[in-house]
Amino acid sequence: MRGAEAALSTRQIERLGAPLLVAWQITRDCDLACLHCCTESAPGKRLADELDVEESLRLADELIANEVPYVMLCGGEPLVVPHFLDLATRLGRAGVQLKIETNGQRLDARHIAQLATLPVRSVQVSLDGDTAGTYARQRPGASLEKAHAACRAVRAAGLPLEITFAPTRLNIHEAEAVIERARSLGAFRFNTGALMRIGTAARLWQRLQPSEEQYRRFRQMLERSARALANESLELCYTPFSMADGLRASVTEPPAMLLVLPNGWVKVAAALPQICADLRHDTLAQAWAHYRAAWRDPTVLAALERAIAEESRHADANRWQQPTPVH
Amino acid sequence: MSPSTPKIASPEPARPAATEQRPQSEKPRWETPRMEDVSEQVMAQPYIRFT
Repeated sequence: MRGAEAALSTRQIERLGAPLLVAWQITRDCDLACLHCCTESAPGKRLADELDVEESLRLADELIANEVPYVMLCGGEPLVVPHFLDLATRLGRAGVQLKIETNGQRLDARHIAQLATLPVRSVQVSLDGDTAGTYARQRPGASLEKAHAACRAVRAAGLPLEITFAPTRLNIHEAEAVIERARSLGAFRFNTGALMRIGTAARLWQRLQPSEEQYRRFRQMLERSARALANESLELCYTPFSMADGLRASVTEPPAMLLVLPNGWVKVAAALPQICADLRHDTLAQAWAHYRAAWRDPTVLAALERAIAEESRHADANRWQQPTPVH
Repeated sequence: MSPSTPKIASPEPARPAATEQRPQSEKPRWETPRMEDVSEQVMAQPYIRFT
């Protein structure tokens, strides 16, 4: 076996028969129109060709049959999808661990009661501010009070809570307060990093991008807070800090995950437009094989190099390129 | 080479996935994915943290 091929064969994705994680955007629709949204979701943005309930449940059955251990349901806002709970229940009752990503605006008692019966590893709620004004500036029309109430309800039901904070010029000054909020709400993790230049954020980049000085202070604060929280149950997660850092790590060890779009297409990486499979037509096993092949494909590797070198190229990530059959 | 500008390993030509290419007798034994193998490397990706 040649050297380069031998190195590739040691990758985790070359050993596994299925992904460890499926991140499934079940809709592009959302009840909010956040300025920093990486998927360009907003009210009425449901795609015409999104998987319907039967197709979604069929895909869920395939994930179960292929023994995928962990599925993240996200969007858009997954809770606007009428069959969200059916999907979560189908997966969860079969033993698939779940992560639910939500803005918390419509997480009600019915959701909480059902999710509490399932193997939920994380309910991740976005808290992009600690004052109502800042939060609503970044998430127009959203209620911070509702998001906090959702967090409290998650914890009251014994579900694990995770908080995410997308820093922008509008809210970065409140990051430390949100960390303290996450701690007081009983979250087990606080996620942040550099703002991703994808989707709506890319369009509004000049308005949103924090300055170098803001990022410098932000990182100092994160390091200080991480030290202060060393003996607490709240973990701060902020590395790899940027998309480029994440891509750089993926070059040698591609993540053992599939990112499934609302229409069943599978992306090679969030920051790239390349699509490697279509789960309307491909089986999960085929999609996984195509994903592995994509991480050896010279075209994809060249696109990765460009995306690592030039962050502005991430702005093309949502201009999906038709799946290329791998034979 | 600067650590901030890594070169991607010399690309192999795109080729069929191993499962589809090899004869039945040479098929690799795939490992079953397990929850305990869902590493920080998978979950700490910026996209997963932020979505």
